[in-house]
Amino acid sequence: MTQLRNASQVGRLGFLSEQNKRDIYLAALEVLANVGMRVYHEEAKTLLLEAGCTLTPQDRVLMPRHLVEQARLCVPSVVNLYDRDGTLALELGGYNSYFGPGSDLMSTYDLETGAHRPSTLKDVARAARLCDALPHLDFIMSSAHPTDQDPHLSYLLSFAEMMQNTRKPLVMTAENERDLSVMIQIARELRGGAEALRQKPYLVVYNEPISPLEHPEESLSKLLLCADTGVPSIYSPAPLAGATAPITVAGHTTQGVAESLFGLVVHQLRKPGAPFLFGIGPAVLDLVTAQSSYNAVEYLMTYMCAVEMAKWLDIPNWGYAGTSDSQLLDAQAGMEATQITFLAMQAGSNLSHDVGYLDFGLTGSLEEIVLVDEFISMNRRLLAGIEVNRDTLALEAIAEAGPGGQYMTSEHTYRYMRAVQWRPTILNRHGRERWLADGGLDLAARARQKALDLLATHQVPALPADLAVKTDELIGAFAAAGA
Amino acid sequence: MSLFEDLKLNVEQGKKEAVLALVAQALDQGHSAQQILQQGLIAAMDIVGAKMEQEEMFIPEVLRAAKTMEAGLEILKPLLGVGDMQVSGKVVMGTVKGDLHDIGKNLVAMLLSSAGFEVIDLGINVAPAVFAQKAEATGADFLGMSALLTTTMPMMAATIEELEKAGLRGRVRVLIGGAPVTQAYADQIGADGYASDAGAAIKVAKELGAVKA
Repeated sequence: MTQLRNASQVGRLGFLSEQNKRDIYLAALEVLANVGMRVYHEEAKTLLLEAGCTLTPQDRVLMPRHLVEQARLCVPSVVNLYDRDGTLALELGGYNSYFGPGSDLMSTYDLETGAHRPSTLKDVARAARLCDALPHLDFIMSSAHPTDQDPHLSYLLSFAEMMQNTRKPLVMTAENERDLSVMIQIARELRGGAEALRQKPYLVVYNEPISPLEHPEESLSKLLLCADTGVPSIYSPAPLAGATAPITVAGHTTQGVAESLFGLVVHQLRKPGAPFLFGIGPAVLDLVTAQSSYNAVEYLMTYMCAVEMAKWLDIPNWGYAGTSDSQLLDAQAGMEATQITFLAMQAGSNLSHDVGYLDFGLTGSLEEIVLVDEFISMNRRLLAGIEVNRDTLALEAIAEAGPGGQYMTSEHTYRYMRAVQWRPTILNRHGRERWLADGGLDLAARARQKALDLLATHQVPALPADLAVKTDELIGAFAAAGA
Repeated sequence: MSLFEDLKLNVEQGKKEAVLALVAQALDQGHSAQQILQQGLIAAMDIVGAKMEQEEMFIPEVLRAAKTMEAGLEILKPLLGVGDMQVSGKVVMGTVKGDLHDIGKNLVAMLLSSAGFEVIDLGINVAPAVFAQKAEATGADFLGMSALLTTTMPMMAATIEELEKAGLRGRVRVLIGGAPVTQAYADQIGADGYASDAGAAIKVAKELGAVKA
């Protein structure tokens, strides 16, 4: 189990004091109790009102503090995810941090031609297979949105492609509870029954309220279905600071906390103890260009506040990494994607997605995924911390080398070097001559080459034939019923 | 695993005790010293060389493998004929006068030695006249110089002049290296070879050696 733990062992950046966190929590409770939220799902509304919420004449649900406190007592602090084979893969909780791509990018930079073009179902399969091969991407999302498919089938078809092209656990988006229930049915077929899937979750579902303070019918349907089936659910809003949320970091955080906790209460009322992930996607509206930034510095600040609040609440969190607002994989992308990823890692953000996003979450880049994988690899080494003991202090080795000596043939070097020295795969460590001889490529070109090589060679074991048949049947039946 | 496969693997992994035992075992089984050298020890170092090139091995592992190979060779030496042990060439080397930075020179010396060169390491702060004198006394094929400082680089040119004065320039090929040294500088002072890193130095020395043969 120890090898699964990826928690930072070094000091963390702290943005909020204990008092700040209490204040944000109390402010969120005040929003829940006094401002209220709109609920577009009758069954969820009834559940809330029966539990002690009240309805205002303006159709707002007011939530008393004790319901939040009760939900906090019930919700698990750790959510385990299992891969396609049923092996424990991710332990979400504490300061463990895991990474994966995002979902539903409308455009893709074509790996072969470099062209900017609409995403297809094939891109979903390729991203899944590439991420399966990359050791530091821990879970899989669709990455691309298959714009070449019937929109009502797109999530289900993506799910089937992802299942075939990776063994890693999945995080899914779905249109509503209808296509989601088919995904869950297929996952039950994979695991061998409803109880087996509950014991060993294979997928997590990404559900979102709409900021400010609205909970759509589809989101709550999916949230309730997750509670019923034991499939872990994320309930994470995307409050847009300056547009659908307050412009200040504290206000932005407060509204996001209130929106996510509202989902937590619905979820835990339906099924106490069901696995849940707290989160805020703290987008920022650039008030000059009117673009929704994933990498504005205020985004990063609210994100870090959200992670700190998750730790304070002791609920696993949903997070972000490997994104850039840049239009291509350039120096801006390198700077932004690595900054947000490092912040996520050091903060112990549990399940961070969107690796490979460019263009405000509209365009995907497989090269960027490769680049961020390397960055995570390097920084998992960095955050593993420094071992200080008699042997690592190397007093004997220093004495042995003495003035003017060397350590290249020292037993100490030999013993430690592979554990101590992290090796890059695409970062350049060659001198000018060798670099030129190797083609004089920049990092983006080397990432592209690695992606092409992995896609040409990496194989994912096929699903059992009967499962593949069953999957086709279930999707076929869904398509027929929908039509 | 065959005896020779086992021997090669243990050389590669730098396991000296195992290599000594396996060489003795091979002799007991009637293999010739020449065969053990060629198919065991040298074949192992060929693999090591390839793995170093592929960046699969760390340099300290290469150095350890070379040491292990040498230990095995010590057993065979008395049994080998005159023509059986080919030396790639004899190299006199050191850091130039005024320069005490020797880790790069040491690394090149160790790698040259593991590649079959006989290395006479003069250490640090070696004056031009001393380089020339030692090159003559040892019958060296190569003279290797290293400098880390731009202020000490001119000593390379001074050493070449010294070799010319001693009438050695035709016989001794000059190799230079060090962080500030470039191919252009090597051309300017009339050095025969330049390498930008330790791995490249071995290649350059081998290529120049082959020209002579």
